[in-house]
Amino acid sequence: MLAQSPFAEPLAAGPRPPVALICRFRRSCARRVAGLFVLVAMGLVGQPALAQAPRTLTIAQGFDPQTLWPNGTTASDNLNAGGAIVEALLWSNPADGKIQPMLAQTWERTSPTTMKLSLRPNVAFTNGEAMNADAVVHSFTVFLDPRQAPAYANYAAAIDRVEKVDDLTVNVHTKFPYPAFELMLTQVYVTPPAYWASVGLQGFGQKPVGTGPFKLTEWVKDNRVVMDRNRAYWGKGPTGLDRVVWRPVPDDTARVAGLTTGEYDIATNVPISSIADVNAQRDRRVIETPSYRIFQLILSSLEEHPSPLHDKRVRQAVNHAIDKKAIIDNLFEGRAFALNGQLLRQSQLGYDPSLKDYPFDVNKAKALLAEAGHPNGIEITFKFPTGRYAQDREVSEAIAGMLAKAGIRTRLVSLEPGEFLRQLRNRELQPMAYIGLAPLDDPDFQLAQYRSNWRYAYIRNAELDALIDAGAREIDVAKRGEIYRQAGRLMHDLAPVAFLFGGFDFYGVTRKLEGFTPRGDQRFFLHDVTLKP
Amino acid sequence: MASYILRRLLLTLPVLAGIVVITFLLTRLSGDPTDLLLPPNATDEARAAFRSVNGLDRPLWEQFVAFAIRAATGDFGTSLRFEQPAMQLVLDRLPATAELAAATMAIALGIGIPAGVIAATQRGKAADGLIRAVMLLGQAIPSFFLGVLGIIVFAVWLRWLPTGGRGDWAQLVLPATTLAFNLVALIARVTRSCMLDVLKQDYVRTARAKGVWERRVIWLHALRNAFIPVLTVIGLQVGLLLGGVVVTETIFSWPGVGRLAIQAIYARDFPVVQAVVFVFAVIFVMVNLVVDLLYALLDPRIGYK
Repeated sequence: MLAQSPFAEPLAAGPRPPVALICRFRRSCARRVAGLFVLVAMGLVGQPALAQAPRTLTIAQGFDPQTLWPNGTTASDNLNAGGAIVEALLWSNPADGKIQPMLAQTWERTSPTTMKLSLRPNVAFTNGEAMNADAVVHSFTVFLDPRQAPAYANYAAAIDRVEKVDDLTVNVHTKFPYPAFELMLTQVYVTPPAYWASVGLQGFGQKPVGTGPFKLTEWVKDNRVVMDRNRAYWGKGPTGLDRVVWRPVPDDTARVAGLTTGEYDIATNVPISSIADVNAQRDRRVIETPSYRIFQLILSSLEEHPSPLHDKRVRQAVNHAIDKKAIIDNLFEGRAFALNGQLLRQSQLGYDPSLKDYPFDVNKAKALLAEAGHPNGIEITFKFPTGRYAQDREVSEAIAGMLAKAGIRTRLVSLEPGEFLRQLRNRELQPMAYIGLAPLDDPDFQLAQYRSNWRYAYIRNAELDALIDAGAREIDVAKRGEIYRQAGRLMHDLAPVAFLFGGFDFYGVTRKLEGFTPRGDQRFFLHDVTLKP
Repeated sequence: MASYILRRLLLTLPVLAGIVVITFLLTRLSGDPTDLLLPPNATDEARAAFRSVNGLDRPLWEQFVAFAIRAATGDFGTSLRFEQPAMQLVLDRLPATAELAAATMAIALGIGIPAGVIAATQRGKAADGLIRAVMLLGQAIPSFFLGVLGIIVFAVWLRWLPTGGRGDWAQLVLPATTLAFNLVALIARVTRSCMLDVLKQDYVRTARAKGVWERRVIWLHALRNAFIPVLTVIGLQVGLLLGGVVVTETIFSWPGVGRLAIQAIYARDFPVVQAVVFVFAVIFVMVNLVVDLLYALLDPRIGYK
C-alpha cells in the first residue's frame, strides 16, 4: 500500500546517500504532490469506497468479541456474535418475553427438582457431530465448572446433576425447587464434545462449531468477524441473508457515521443525541428497547456504614428530594421509564401496579429530615462511576443538585469503572452511590441482590430475606407473584435505595431489516430476521 | 561503527528491564482485574477460581519472579481477557500499526519539510504567514477532535472515504492524515526555524556568491545542514506517534496495537499492557538508535567509535 504513495519512495530509499535522496525529492516533489491529489480524487470520487457484497448484514458493535464461545463471558458483544453460531437449549423471545424451544424441543418438570429435556432430533453441528444427549451433558459439565465458565457460576449454582436418559433425553436435577429453571436453560450453550476435546476451551472460543444459523468463515482480530449461512441449519433461519459481518467500532460517533453512510446495517448503542438524525434518514431508523438495567441510588443501612441513612425517614427523604421526571425528560429526552417505587419492571412477575414513585416533594423531604433529627440537613458522601453508564456523571451531578435543595449536601466522589466495581463487590459503595443493575429477567435474580448475605447487598432485613427465599423456591406462579409483590411493598417502605428509572438501549438499523427485536439485556438474535433487497 | 551499535544495543537492555519492572508495578497498582472481567454477581468460588487460574492469588513478588523468567524468553503470559498469549496478540496487530505509522510519517515528512523550507525562504511574506497559521492550527487541534471532524466531513457529508476499519487504501487516508496533522505542524516549524539559521551561514552566502543555482542552495546545501535537528525531532516524535495511535485507532476502528492497548488498560489485562509497553519501548529505542546513526550519514563530521 505504501509503495503506491508518492511520498513513500524517498523514505523507502533507505541506504541511498542523503544528497541523492534530497535531489531526487527536489526534482519530483511537485509532480508527486500533484500525483497524490489526482490519485486521491480518482480513487475516492470514482469508486464507492463502501461497497458491500449483496445479501450481507454488517453489524457494528462496540468491541471485537473476546471469545465466540457464549459461555465464555456475559458481555453482549460476545454473546450476540457467538450466539449466531452456538445455540442454547432454550431462548427467551424478546418479542413476547416467553421462553421458547431451541435445541431442547420440549421440557417438562417431572418432579419439583427435575426437568426432563427432550432434544431436537436430527440436528448436527457443522463439523458433522450429532447434537444429542452426550453433547448436552458435556455442555452442562463445562457450564457447571467455575474454572471454565466462571461468569455463569451464579446461574449454575442451583444445579445438582445432569444425566443422560437416552440419546435425545436428558434429566437435569436441581438442589431445590427452582422457579428460574427455564431461564437458566437459556444460558446453557451446546457444544460438540469431540471437537471441544480436540481444541480445548480457548481453541473453541477462537474457532467455534455449533448448530446455529451461521458458521465462522473468517475472524480478523479487531477488524471483522465474517460468518456465512449454515446451509444445513435445522430451522428456517434468516431470509435474504447469506453472510453476517461483525465490525468492532468503539467510537460512538464513528459507529453512527458508518450507519449513516450505509457501511453498517445495524449499529448498537446509538447515543441519545444521534437518534433524531438517524430517524431523519429515509432508510435508517432507531429501535428503542427498554433495558433490564435498573438505575438506583444505594442508600446503605448496614451497621458497619455509619451514616444518617440508617434512619428510614432519611432514606425516604432522599427519595422525595429527587425529581425523577426532570432527569428522564431533560437528560434522557424522555427515553427512560419510571420505576413506580419498585425494582421489578412492569413486564415482570411480582410487579405491583398499586405502588407509585415517591412524589417529588422538597418540603416533605425537609420535614422527614427534621423528624429524623436533622433540621439543618445532612452532609453525605455520594459515589458515582464515570464512564460506566450513559451520562452517569451528568445524572449524579443533577441528583446532587436536587438533594442539596432539600438540605442533603453531598460530597461527590467520581470513580473509574474498575474501581467502582471493586468497591461494589467489597461493599464499599457507601453510604450513597449511583448504580445501574441488570440481572437476568427473573424477579429472583433482581431481588436476590438485596438479600442480607448477597455480596453487594447494602441492607440487612430478616423479613425481606424470608420473602426473597420464599420467592426463589416457589414453583406456583400465582403464589410467587404475590410473594414478590409483598417484597416490593416492603422495599418501597424501607427504601433501601432511591428508586430512579429504567434505561433504554438504542439500535440504529436499516429499514430493509425485518424481525430484528433486541432484548433488554442487549442480546439480539438473527435466526428469524429478514433482509429485504 | 559496529562496536558502537553493539554497545548501544547492550545499553538498551537495562532500559528495557527497567520498563518491564515499572510496567509490572504500575499495572498492579491499578487494582484487581477480577472485578472487571467477571460480572458483579459472580460467585466467590468463581472469583477464586479465576484468580487462581491467572495466578492473581499469589504474592506480588512471586508473580513478578514468574513473570520476569517468562518475559526473558519473550513470553509475557496469557491475556486475561482474550485467553491467548499476550505477545502474540500484540505482534498480530503490529503490522496494522506499522502501516498507519509509516503512512503518517510519509505524510508528515512529505508536507512538513517542504512547508518549512518554503516558509523559511519566503519569510515575512504571505506564504510564510499562511504556513505558520496552518502550523499553529495543526498543533492546537487534538487528534480526537480532528478525527471526528474528518469522519463527519469526508465520510458522512462528502461520502468520499469510509468511516473506519482496515482493508483497502481508502481506509488508511483519514486515520493517517489525522495522526499526521500535528506532526506536519511540528516538522514544518522545526524545519523553518533551522533553515532560517542555516540560511544566515557563511557557506550559504559563499554558495550564492559562486553563482550556485538558488534552488540547489536551498534544497541541497541549506536543507541538508538544517536536517539534523529535524531528524532529532522526528526520532523523539515517534513516542508521540505511538501515543497518538491509541486515540486514532480507536476513533477509526483501526485494528492496531493502540486499540488493543486501550482495551487492555480498561480491562486491567496486565499481560497485554506489559507486552504493549515493552514492544513500544523497543520501537522507540530502536528508532532513536537509527536516528543517531543517520546523523553520521548526513554530516560526515559526525563519527561513532
